[in-house]
Amino acid sequence: MSAHDPHLGPRPVQSWGLGRFTPSWRWLSEAMWWVEHAFGRAHADARPEEDTRVRIFVILSVFSAVFVCLTLGAIHAAVLRVGVGGGAASHPGAVVRADMVDRNGALLATNIVHYGLYIDPAQVWDRRAAAAQIRRALPRVSKTRMDAALYGDRRLLVANRLTPREKVALHNLALGGVSFEPEDVRVHPLGESARHVVGNVDTGGVGLSAAERAFNDEIRAAGARGESFQISIDLRVQGVLENELAAAAEATQARGAVGIITDVQTGEVLGMASWPASNSRNLATAATYEMGSVFKTFTVAAAIDTGRADMNTLLDASEALQIGSRRITDFHAQNKVMTLEEVYLHSSNIGTSRLSTEMGPQVMRDYFERFGLMARAPFEIPSEAPILPGEWSDSTLASLSFGYGISITPLQMAAAMGALTNGGRFIPLTLRKGGRPDVRGRRIVSPETSLTLLDLMRRNVVRGSGARAEAPGLRVGGKTGSANKSINGRYNTAHAVGTFAGVFPADGPVNARRYQILVLIDEPQTWPRTGGFVAAPAVGRIADRIAPFLGVERKADAYRTAVGDRIPAFEDLEGDGR
Amino acid sequence: MNPAIAALNRLFAWKVRGVRWIEIIGVLLVAAMVFSVYLAKAAAARESARISDLERQISDNGQRVRLLRAEVARLEQPGRLEALSRGAGLGPVDVHRQARAGNLSTLAPVPEPRPVVIAPTVPAATPSTPVADPVGDDQP
Repeated sequence: MSAHDPHLGPRPVQSWGLGRFTPSWRWLSEAMWWVEHAFGRAHADARPEEDTRVRIFVILSVFSAVFVCLTLGAIHAAVLRVGVGGGAASHPGAVVRADMVDRNGALLATNIVHYGLYIDPAQVWDRRAAAAQIRRALPRVSKTRMDAALYGDRRLLVANRLTPREKVALHNLALGGVSFEPEDVRVHPLGESARHVVGNVDTGGVGLSAAERAFNDEIRAAGARGESFQISIDLRVQGVLENELAAAAEATQARGAVGIITDVQTGEVLGMASWPASNSRNLATAATYEMGSVFKTFTVAAAIDTGRADMNTLLDASEALQIGSRRITDFHAQNKVMTLEEVYLHSSNIGTSRLSTEMGPQVMRDYFERFGLMARAPFEIPSEAPILPGEWSDSTLASLSFGYGISITPLQMAAAMGALTNGGRFIPLTLRKGGRPDVRGRRIVSPETSLTLLDLMRRNVVRGSGARAEAPGLRVGGKTGSANKSINGRYNTAHAVGTFAGVFPADGPVNARRYQILVLIDEPQTWPRTGGFVAAPAVGRIADRIAPFLGVERKADAYRTAVGDRIPAFEDLEGDGR
Repeated sequence: MNPAIAALNRLFAWKVRGVRWIEIIGVLLVAAMVFSVYLAKAAAARESARISDLERQISDNGQRVRLLRAEVARLEQPGRLEALSRGAGLGPVDVHRQARAGNLSTLAPVPEPRPVVIAPTVPAATPSTPVADPVGDDQP
């Protein structure tokens, strides 16, 4: 080795390029250079074995570093990244759509694996025998489709939505060329019960109507988590409502009927039924009616809330009220001056017409807007818009005061009655369990007005037109409504609508748990056709049957004992200013 | 010489039959590591297969449960139950026959059944009463 050996000693740092490097890069470069020339240095020092050691040490170090990195990576992947890996990526119970259940967990809709039946004609030995056996096991299969599959030239779908039982029956035939493919099918095990609320789903698993459509995204998200999706309906309440509504509609030979039960404090719909159930149209949301005297509740509420009247205010109903050329009379004419309470209990058209004309169009319109009667009801299921009066003359105001001249959906009526009986807060109705979290109640009347109306409605059941809605000990209050329908522009007495909007229990503080029941009978054919006869009894029976489900105990109030007997002292409570 | 480097040199110089102990230990450690990795991988594969099997079972059972729940819901639908109840003569209980659990003590007790007196089938014979002649098989 000569003294000019370029490998001797550290190589001087070349000026080219290194000027661009940072000190750490320069250190690394020098270290590599030092290792690279260890052999030369070792020879120069007459210790050639050290060169090998250094190289082995460096390689060992590099491999060790790599292994340490890999080990750390493996530990990180195995221990620290909890929830990633270690099984299926999705929940084992995940489904396309979550089960829809009622507020207590009772099943309303679910996804069940069904099967599509396919036939590959190339693998069928005896086509005629196969066709006969398949039709015997599955009579609903179309002969045309089966022949097309059996005598075709490729594998074809013959029938779909086979239940597991049908699949087993066909599978047991052990026919060649017959195969099945799973299909996820939305099933409504309750049949027609609650179908207007639950709705339908298309074959792709997308909600088409009612709650299936309204909560489509949330139902799918819950399904991915393997959870159920709850709605506000109580299946027990729904069942009673459907049964009693059907009984009332059949007893009165009605054309249609609607029933809605709500929790007035939360706006939750506990039951909603439209009769006949076979009709796909939900009359609760998709039909509008002039509901008659139920509207007197709104007129009286507006009069009390504005301070224009109280229970002792006298209104002259001794003779018909003349507005222009129109003469307004009472159905049950008392022909006397009546207090506001008597006007309500006797359902006096004259009395409420006087109130409405005194309040004027501005006040009436304002309160109708507050009650949600002027706009489509905010609800998860799209509903019809109300049919409003074109002008607000005195004659129109008189009509509006007793429920003519404006057509609203039963849903709007239920929401408005709920607002009047929950302390005066308008809470949009909802199918969401627990109520809508994004909506706060809007005050429409004072709590005092609400309490007065509750007492008035209770009195109307105790000794007014709603007597047939009484349920012993449940303190039912409410208002009847009867209206003739307009046929070809003329009100026809042969086509009537009878309504009862009830609430129970009507006593207690404004924020007490309270439930509203609306029953509307469309075109009853029995006589009398008024709401007090066709709808009120159904409300009483419904309250009687659902009270145990809702935890409402039978109690005495100022008017009746807990078992429905009269309290004589009630007469002394009259005229207390309420 | 630096004591650390001296110790390192001694470690590398520690040999048996010309083979460094450090290398033997390293090889043994690597072999142990490879074997443990193999065991871990094999166990993981076994667990993974078991998990997949369990998930499949859960899914199958879930489907069966869904099917049964749907069947239960169909059988328990309120309209059907009411029709069956009416058919069996059941109906809502009258309010006068309802009571809360707290009022049970105030209810009138169910009247005790009257003791059944078994009348003697054969009246006691009295000497003063004439007794009809019994009709026997041996009568002509």
